[in-house]
Amino acid sequence: MAFLGIYVFAGFGAESFGFEQTADQYYTETNLADGWIYTSNLDDDFVDKVNNLSLTKDSERQLVVNSIADFDNDPDITLHFLEDDDISKFYVMEGENFNLSDGDGVWLDTRFADSKNLTVGDNITFEFEGIEVEKEIKGLGYSPEHVYQTSDSSMIPDYDKMGFAYMSYKAFPLDDLPYNVLLVKYDGNSSQYEKQLDDDLDRDYSSFQSRDQHPSFAEFRDETEQHKMMTDVIPVIFIIIAMLTLLTTMTRIIDSQRTQLGVLKALGFKNRTIMFHYISYGFWMVLAGSILGFILGPLTLPPIMFDEMSMLYSFPEWISGFDVSFVMVTALMIILSVVISYLACRKIVNESPSTAIKPKIPKVSTTGLLDKLGIWEKFSFNVRWNYRDAKRNKFRALMSIVGVLACTMIIVASFGCMDGFDEMKEWSYTDINHYSSKLVLNDNATTSQVDNIVDEVDGERLMESAIEIKVDDVKKSGVVTVLDDNELYSPTDDDKNPIEIKDNEISLSRKMAELLNVKEGDTIKWHIMGSDKWVSTKVDRLHSDPTSQGIVVTKEKLEDLDLNYTPTSVITSREVNDNYTGVNTIFSMDSLTDSWDEMMESSMSVIYMLAGFAALLSVIVLYNLGLLSFTEIKREFATLKVLGFKSAYLRKLLLTQNLWFTTIGFIIGVPLGRETLQYLWGTMGDSFYLNATISIKTLIITFIITYVASVVVNLMFSGKLKKLDMVESLKDNE
Amino acid sequence: MSTIIEFKNVNKEYKSGDHILKAMDDVNFTIDEGEFVVILGPSGAGKSTLLNLLGGLDTVSSGEIIVRGNHIESFNDNQLTTYRAKNVGFIFQFYNLIPNLTALENVELMKDIVDVNINGLSVLDSVGLKDHANQFPAQLSGGEQQRVSIARAVAKQPTMLLCDEPTGALDSKTGVLILNLLQDMSNNQNTTVVIVTHNAILAEAADKVIRIKNGQIESIVVNENPKKVADLEW
Repeated sequence: MAFLGIYVFAGFGAESFGFEQTADQYYTETNLADGWIYTSNLDDDFVDKVNNLSLTKDSERQLVVNSIADFDNDPDITLHFLEDDDISKFYVMEGENFNLSDGDGVWLDTRFADSKNLTVGDNITFEFEGIEVEKEIKGLGYSPEHVYQTSDSSMIPDYDKMGFAYMSYKAFPLDDLPYNVLLVKYDGNSSQYEKQLDDDLDRDYSSFQSRDQHPSFAEFRDETEQHKMMTDVIPVIFIIIAMLTLLTTMTRIIDSQRTQLGVLKALGFKNRTIMFHYISYGFWMVLAGSILGFILGPLTLPPIMFDEMSMLYSFPEWISGFDVSFVMVTALMIILSVVISYLACRKIVNESPSTAIKPKIPKVSTTGLLDKLGIWEKFSFNVRWNYRDAKRNKFRALMSIVGVLACTMIIVASFGCMDGFDEMKEWSYTDINHYSSKLVLNDNATTSQVDNIVDEVDGERLMESAIEIKVDDVKKSGVVTVLDDNELYSPTDDDKNPIEIKDNEISLSRKMAELLNVKEGDTIKWHIMGSDKWVSTKVDRLHSDPTSQGIVVTKEKLEDLDLNYTPTSVITSREVNDNYTGVNTIFSMDSLTDSWDEMMESSMSVIYMLAGFAALLSVIVLYNLGLLSFTEIKREFATLKVLGFKSAYLRKLLLTQNLWFTTIGFIIGVPLGRETLQYLWGTMGDSFYLNATISIKTLIITFIITYVASVVVNLMFSGKLKKLDMVESLKDNE
Repeated sequence: MSTIIEFKNVNKEYKSGDHILKAMDDVNFTIDEGEFVVILGPSGAGKSTLLNLLGGLDTVSSGEIIVRGNHIESFNDNQLTTYRAKNVGFIFQFYNLIPNLTALENVELMKDIVDVNINGLSVLDSVGLKDHANQFPAQLSGGEQQRVSIARAVAKQPTMLLCDEPTGALDSKTGVLILNLLQDMSNNQNTTVVIVTHNAILAEAADKVIRIKNGQIESIVVNENPKKVADLEW
């Protein structure tokens, strides 16, 4: 039990801490940029201006272009021409280190190379903007900017179809190298830096991206968050149950050794010697179990997940994380077991040898209220026996129920997560966003360009801009969605029904209202990012959105507030594949839902593992407690067997009780699981909003798992019942 | 009176390592219906083994045990269980009542496994415990518990009552009461009663006395005029 508890706790802990530490270590080692400034005129003058900002620590230029490598399937390769190799360094696995003075070599994405069977020394040709370059592969490795990569042709990482390559500025075929990205390292946080950029550079650049907005960085960070959400809470429930069961078991083991203890005492052993013996007995077992779990958990569990994760994310090496909490929990486990053995022992040792040598007087059954009712007469012997047995052993009954309850809770919560992800997807991509394609506009797209696109694709304009909302001292970032008679985008209420936002109304999302602690009628202050103009508005109504939090207003209202209406995308019910001037990227609804599914897939294995461990937990708790009670009722069962009761009947007797406990545990566990789930959604981050619901499917799965666990335990006892030696058990008298 | 139990050349051996212990060595005897039989012998003579074999708790190494024409030595586990349920009423030295059930429930318990209409209250009445019907074993005295145990055994109207030292845990006065009850059942209801004891005085009350020693029959004596238990000199 100690083993399993620590195993799961440290194992899952190592996994989620591992994600963080893997990334942290890699980003530190490769000196990942803090921000990326994109602009077309990256001359020395601009670089100087950036370097002169007080927060800037370092900067270097790159030209990043998309190219097609010379293969049958035309893979997309992102080329980086470097001015220097100090920020976002290429991580070499094979071949020589990156060499800035080498104009003939290329350093290639190792996973792409693997899938194309390329090795160091081979040549590779890229084509971009009509230019063809052929280079020799000097090294293979990873890039911190390409932990997660997708291309136009595939939304999910497919290393046969895409990759990246690093080259020195000397490798560029033309004389003039048109750098387009400035990588920067800075002090302070991204908004402080962006403010300084805005203030001092007068927005003389097209866009700035902080780490949080960088797709590769953000994707992995979100993934980590998602895992943390599940692995933070559930193993804690696990360890608590493990501890409780361990404690019950230890107390009962010592109680069952009572007469032996009495004999030792009668023979004249000192109390201290006896206690030491029994405490050390439990201590060594728990110590061994805990340490084994402590070592094996982080050793065996994370690699399973890392395998799964490395399909999506590219790191040179995955490391199991470590946290001081692992040690603390292990220590707590051991200390608790010693304390509890001590208490249990002391109770017996303090009795006189003459009483300690005798077994404890069994608890006497009493008739309760239920027995006096007429209905009692109708109950079978089975029901009566089980009811009184449970009543006589209240603590055991309670522990069994708690065990099943925790199992139910964990399964409901983990499968509930799955339900929730599905629900969010449905809600977000069917109820709210029901377009087929979304054309994201360039920041500098002109009105006429936009008008043209709208005409061409028969689309609707949509404005979604980042905002900051302030109420008293609480400041939250969110999104303002501005509607212009949109039919392909519908704000919804809590029941996912579309609601109409009137021209004079401001609607705030429910999650944002919770975060800011405001309700309908209250006043909020907000401004669009990049503009200093703060407006104060009354919250007229609330809407609900699972993935995006902020404000929804109409174009008319926005203009009333004297704010500029600048559409950020065009949405349409058509499938759009052609590119238009002014369009940055085109998302199809299918690709959006596909990438959602892909993102959730890796969470599945965590869910299955947790459900598996929960079932195991339930089996262990029930078996453990069953085993202890079995030694207590062995004599009764032997008597029943002598009287002519068949083993099958006795098994049913035991099963009945287990099923009762399972049923009670299940009934209480489901709503508690729902609460856990609600808590998990709450911790998932400011942008997510969902009311925890449990689907019928989840209920059925949970039901099956819990009850199967209960029956499995019963089958484990069936052998013991068959082998029960009647003659021996009868002699075994008090 | 007809013979209902017959032991023919029964042997029972226990192996422990290389050592073979003969617990029953070529044992032969018969018991008639309604007989009050006392099996006597010192500790370790094989009394309990004999009772276990007859009761279907243990199987012979060789030989035959015939009960009402059935060869129970050839029964499998399941058949033995049914045999115990229908034919054998056990009375143990330590009563072995189910602590979770009241006196009445302990008696009526057998309803679940045998097809006999049991009126628990009237059976309890017959052992003088009607007033204690709703008490739990732990609330009853030893003698009372043993009487519940007898009630439980006779309720299903078995072929025989097998009693293993039924008074071993009782004071002598209560013991006499219990034995008296058993003798009455034999005499008045024609129940076959087999009692294992090391208390030789009981021999005078038995219809038949089987003495065993070292796993063998030492003597079988049939009393033409058995005394009443109550008249024995304790």
